Amino acid sequence: MAEITRDITKKREQRYSYGLTLLRECIEKKRPLSNPNNKETEAKTLLRAEDISIAFGKLQALNHVKVEVKEGEILAIIGPNGAGKTCLLNVISGFYRAQSGEVFLEDKRITHSSSHRIAELGLCRTFQNIALYTGLSVIDNIIAGRHPHIKYNFVTGMIYFPFANQEEARQRAIAEDIIDFLELEHVRGSVVGMLAYGLRKRVEMGRALALEPRILLLDEPMAGMNLDEKEDMARFIIDINEFLKIPIVLIEHDMGVVMDIADRIVVLDFGNKIAEGPPEEIKSNPKVISAYLGAG
Amino acid sequence: MNINRPCGTFDRTYFQAKELYRTPLRKTLLALLIVGMYLLPFVTGDYGISILTLICAFTIGMLGLQIITGYCGQISIGHAAFMGVGMYTVGILQRHFGLSFWVCLPLAGLVPMFIGMMFGLPALRMKGLYLAFATLAAHFVIVYVISNWRSVTNGTDGMWMKRPDVLFGIDFKSDRNYYLLVLTITIIMTYLATNLARSKLGRSFVAVRDNDIAAEVMGINIAYTKIMAFGIGCFFAGIAGALGGAYYEYVNVEWFGLDDSIWYLGFLVVGGFGSIFGAIAGATVWKVMDEFSTLVTPLTETLLGGVAFYASAAFSLIFYSLIIIVFLVFEPRGIAHRWEIVKRSYRLHPFPY
Amino acid sequence: MEETIKSIVLGLCSGGIYALLAVSYVVIYKSTRVFPFSQAAVLIIGAYIMWYCLIPWHLPIWLGFIITCIGGAILGVIVERAFMRPLVGQPILAPIVVTLCLMLFFRGIGILMGKGDIQGFGESFLPVGAWKVGFLHLPKIQVYGFILCAVLIAALMLFYEKTRTGLGMRVVHEDHVVAQNLGINVKRIFQYSWVISCIIAVVAGMLLGNIQGVGLALDANGLIAIAAVLFGGLESFAGAIIAGLAIGILQMLTIAHIAPLLPGETTMMVPFVFLLLILFIKPYGLFGLVRIERL
Repeated sequence: MAEITRDITKKREQRYSYGLTLLRECIEKKRPLSNPNNKETEAKTLLRAEDISIAFGKLQALNHVKVEVKEGEILAIIGPNGAGKTCLLNVISGFYRAQSGEVFLEDKRITHSSSHRIAELGLCRTFQNIALYTGLSVIDNIIAGRHPHIKYNFVTGMIYFPFANQEEARQRAIAEDIIDFLELEHVRGSVVGMLAYGLRKRVEMGRALALEPRILLLDEPMAGMNLDEKEDMARFIIDINEFLKIPIVLIEHDMGVVMDIADRIVVLDFGNKIAEGPPEEIKSNPKVISAYLGAG
Repeated sequence: MNINRPCGTFDRTYFQAKELYRTPLRKTLLALLIVGMYLLPFVTGDYGISILTLICAFTIGMLGLQIITGYCGQISIGHAAFMGVGMYTVGILQRHFGLSFWVCLPLAGLVPMFIGMMFGLPALRMKGLYLAFATLAAHFVIVYVISNWRSVTNGTDGMWMKRPDVLFGIDFKSDRNYYLLVLTITIIMTYLATNLARSKLGRSFVAVRDNDIAAEVMGINIAYTKIMAFGIGCFFAGIAGALGGAYYEYVNVEWFGLDDSIWYLGFLVVGGFGSIFGAIAGATVWKVMDEFSTLVTPLTETLLGGVAFYASAAFSLIFYSLIIIVFLVFEPRGIAHRWEIVKRSYRLHPFPY
Repeated sequence: MEETIKSIVLGLCSGGIYALLAVSYVVIYKSTRVFPFSQAAVLIIGAYIMWYCLIPWHLPIWLGFIITCIGGAILGVIVERAFMRPLVGQPILAPIVVTLCLMLFFRGIGILMGKGDIQGFGESFLPVGAWKVGFLHLPKIQVYGFILCAVLIAALMLFYEKTRTGLGMRVVHEDHVVAQNLGINVKRIFQYSWVISCIIAVVAGMLLGNIQGVGLALDANGLIAIAAVLFGGLESFAGAIIAGLAIGILQMLTIAHIAPLLPGETTMMVPFVFLLLILFIKPYGLFGLVRIERL
């Protein structure tokens, strides 16, 4: 409460270099974040997708694909176009229904749950072709992302004072926190439809962050950006990974970025997983080279 | 840079940033407006009071439709029918159970809410126009049930309703006191609707309207959101019906036909989607047009050669639909958008943007 | 039993007209993704034009028919050009509200044209009387009406299958952007859809005016055809035809069996109860397409 009523000018002096402090506090209320200095936390599997198969008519989009995401790692999924990467993300987040296979988040079965239940459990994603709420402003989009974590019912909302008022201000503070982190202060009031593509991608990421993610799935976050913007985005991803201690799954085509920031890489080709491992292994894997990277 | 705030207004807390009426000037103007509306009936005659009462009642109904269609993007062609259900609820409860108006009023909101949710349930699971068809069907079924359930609703003869009982010594038989009551209820409902728009549920309405696939993946339960939007909208419609019916002290099933539902939608478009001001503007324009057409119809009758007893029916049909279509073609965002442009040009004068 | 068979056969005949109306809705919906509620009221205008040709102006039937069709075509062009074209970029609500208001607008024009009364055609322009087939009484008006509807629908299907423009329309049914990239003039296809739909609607209005009397009550048939469209699936011609026949049978069965049981005017209510049942059980209709959305 105190942070909200305090004058914002004072707040700036006490900012951490990362930002995201309020968000981290919210996450910490629900589960303790591991000690950053302890390198021996064993890598537990957070998300497990086993034996996923899905076909659209005769087209087999995914064929018995098995993916695991461990705590605190950055996993990159790469592959040529049409390999089924976005499809895999859609199945995991509950948007598509797989014909066979199971998905487990923290050993809880989420395979046939509805998408909003999965989002409440902490599996948040961004979209390849941006899916923002085009009529709302940036700040409203991010507060809308807070939806499952806002706790007042509609009757209290209609009466508004005092409960909803306090809650709205609190959520605004958290959203402003995210905006600080993503350096979107200058556009916070603009309607999203007016923004440039790169900024929209950042708002999309902000909205995914607002959901207090347990794991973040990013679908081509650096598509269509120049080198500067890519470096910014990579910096954001690494910051989120280190500061919030959440694993990040990344679908990406830029090999430079992938090799730099990913801890592990999974390669898909026409719905089959053809390789998995750290970047050095994948770079020299002959199957991957012939399917995707090209010789030399 | 927020151009809706005058120069030099800085927000130091998030509470200030959220405020709708930020500056003392705006708060004063709002207070003056409300006081003015309370004092208005002492200035205008009975005719003015009747128009004002109806504008207030229809504003509540329009707010309901704004919640369903403007905020949540669901098209409802049965809104007048749910108003009728509200009217008849009060009539039935007063006639058969002798309940006082004060008890009937919340029920007049809840009954259409549940009936609406019942009709809307299958359509709200699906995306697209299906709610429009479901409400169209609901309209015909409701009209049939009301017309033919003679024992309860007195069929097509209509029912008598009583005004509210004496409260705090105020007698509501007089039109002026009744207007003040309706105005109070309208202000309360507008307050509730405005807060709904900026609360969590209201944001989820807009999210579902803008991008419902993304909304689902972002943790919003779209079925719940759509059903709540439709239910709350029908609640408002029922209350509007109850207040309007009690004004006339009589309710008849012929008052809410398919035409009225379509005018609701149409004048909501004229007023402007997605804003509370738009709903109020739409209701005002509608009622003013009603009075205008009552005045003008005798002229058209003489124009068409005197035989034209049908002119009044045709006049409203043709005239209103042309107005709505012209607005849709030239200013699809309605009067509210025009008003925003006026305010903005005043704020930014002499710059264009 | 006899009653039921009579109702079913009569229902098939009147179902032909409902099928025609359902097809007129589906034609526009498939092309433009806008559901044209206004076609319910175009019936009224078609009936009144035919009435004007036959009774006050004493034209021969074939000329009246041609003038009505031309009137329908002009109406389609005007509606598409003046009302629908300016709304192309806007969200789905705008064209829907415009078509709803057009429905009321046409009703108003109908009142003006007919001076508020229900007119009769005097003599029906189709042969009166009935054939007797066993115990069935087939009114000639209904049968000729059914044949005319069948001919029109068959002509429309041939147009879609065999002609180049029909092929273009079928591409627009699938995807507007793809059609534009293939060089098909999508706006012109919209115009054709509206013209075809209005011509069909005025012919249906003509037939219905003959059977039911020319008046404002005709748009009830249009609204009932909406239930048929939903039953058959919003995007399917086969579904529209089958559903139209089914609704016709449903109407006749209602009149024969259900109406005596329930008070009042059930013929308007029963198709809509049926519509609600469809929404509960099979919301996309018999042959409707469920679109898979991609993110």
